[in-house]
Amino acid sequence: MTRPLVRIRNLHKQFGSHTVLDGVDLDLAEGSVTAILGPSGSGKSTLLRCINHLERPDRGYVEVGGEIIGFRPDGNRLRERSPREIAAQRARIGMVFQHFNLFAHRTAAENIVEGPLAQGVPVRTARARASELLARVGLAGRDDAYPSQLSGGQQQRVAIARALAMDPALILFDEPTSALDPELVGEVLSVIKDLAATGITLAIVTHEIGFAREVADQVVFLEDGHIIESGDPATVLQHTQSERARAFLAAVL
Amino acid sequence: MSPVAASLASAKTAESPDATTTRPIPSPEPRLVARRRPGRWAGVVAGLVLAAMVVNTLLTNPNFQWSIVGDYFLSDAILRGLVLTIWLTAAVLVSGYLLGVAVAAMRLSDNPVLSTVSFGFVWLVRSVPPLVQLLFWYEIASLYPRLSLGIPFGPEFVSFQTAHLFSAVAAAYVALSVDVAAFAAEIVRGGILAVPRGQVEAAESLGLSRFRVFRRVILPQAMPSIIPASGNLLIGMLKATSLVSVIAVQDLLGTTELIYNDNFKIIPLLLVATLWYLLLTTLLSIGQHFLERHFGRSTRVGTSSGWWRTWGAGLRIFPGRRDLEVTR
Repeated sequence: MTRPLVRIRNLHKQFGSHTVLDGVDLDLAEGSVTAILGPSGSGKSTLLRCINHLERPDRGYVEVGGEIIGFRPDGNRLRERSPREIAAQRARIGMVFQHFNLFAHRTAAENIVEGPLAQGVPVRTARARASELLARVGLAGRDDAYPSQLSGGQQQRVAIARALAMDPALILFDEPTSALDPELVGEVLSVIKDLAATGITLAIVTHEIGFAREVADQVVFLEDGHIIESGDPATVLQHTQSERARAFLAAVL
Repeated sequence: MSPVAASLASAKTAESPDATTTRPIPSPEPRLVARRRPGRWAGVVAGLVLAAMVVNTLLTNPNFQWSIVGDYFLSDAILRGLVLTIWLTAAVLVSGYLLGVAVAAMRLSDNPVLSTVSFGFVWLVRSVPPLVQLLFWYEIASLYPRLSLGIPFGPEFVSFQTAHLFSAVAAAYVALSVDVAAFAAEIVRGGILAVPRGQVEAAESLGLSRFRVFRRVILPQAMPSIIPASGNLLIGMLKATSLVSVIAVQDLLGTTELIYNDNFKIIPLLLVATLWYLLLTTLLSIGQHFLERHFGRSTRVGTSSGWWRTWGAGLRIFPGRRDLEVTR
């Protein structure tokens, strides 16, 4: 394995006086799947949101594909980039949200073409691609359905297709199944599992331990803004070192 | 016959016209009948009686002088006033909303200078009655007889007399635009704040520019809450243009005042103005209805059945099973 696609170094983030991330270091190898576990409030989502600069770190940096996200190196300083540059960086990183966040006023296909259209892809090409992507996530022919006409699982699969439409090298999943009825979790996980085999790098914040064990190459356990365990799933999940992580796993399994 | 077929057959019988006049045919599945609403029928009767009384007095009271209303309704002077009212409303609407959206954007900006300026503007304009603002703009020459362009506290480049700056119509246009801008800003701001944060984050994560996020994601979703309030504001604005008659602008009301001051036919001329305002407001309300339908398309389930069907269904004009379908 060569240079990691994502390198996170000494990342800190505070909200007011509350420290959410307290020096996180993490590498994501190209094409790997990383599951980020941890109790709520441990900073999992914030860590993920720093990777595409939805949150601005207070210290440290995130590097994706050799480029620092949100900042431009200038001598010994990192200067925040312009909104236009940040948008261009985000366009290369997919994100899937816990609550899907599909554009409620647009159909499934319109949701998917929104990103490509902003990049100047012709409407016809983008539309055809959207239909293909819908078929790929098991929603062939649902191009004209509005989000309100789709189940939670279907909406999340449209959201994944929307992220894929940008041909990202990296997709971030922020608890993609936490807002779903139990019977709909499987359909979304199976789509993510298919993606894992395609060589796209995935970072998944999840509480689905079984899924993490099956699909992830790397499992990271976050607690109070620190990574307290990390490694391959077998090691972290079966030979858990820390008391805190063991207690958490016992509670969610 | 299978049980399913049997219940389908009995449902068919229940829907036939004589099912409401004869006793229901016993069937395995009882029919659901919506609650009757006798009070509503009483309301309709009372309403019709009142309406008849109003029509009667309108037609028989000679003081309304309908023939004079007819004489003036389409007269040149009134139509000229009407045209002024319409274009003043339109011009104020456009400039008021352009300014209002800008003020709302400033208020929501994370730049503290812009948001403070915006807050101050809205506070000041909303606190002063529009009539007072109108008079201030009209009398600006007494406040600042001379305006000049130059370096603050330094030399002047150009200067001009304010007396020539604002005609009565221009003062009306500026005063009303500023007033509308303050209220429009609050309406637009409320609409933008009603769009869930996640929608913006989803758009940002796709790499959309800030302007594109605003135009393609925020604004269309803010519209459903902006339109009803804006319809209200616009109709209020249309009527508020009648304030300009105070500074001798010949709008619809100003013209009627001018005529009745001359011939003392006060009531019929006020009726002329009233009828025109009614007509304009009705047209605006219809436009608002269609705009709301346009922007509500993604959230509406099924097709709307029209207000007359809903109204009829509320009275249970359509008996039995269909009521439940219509009002569901």
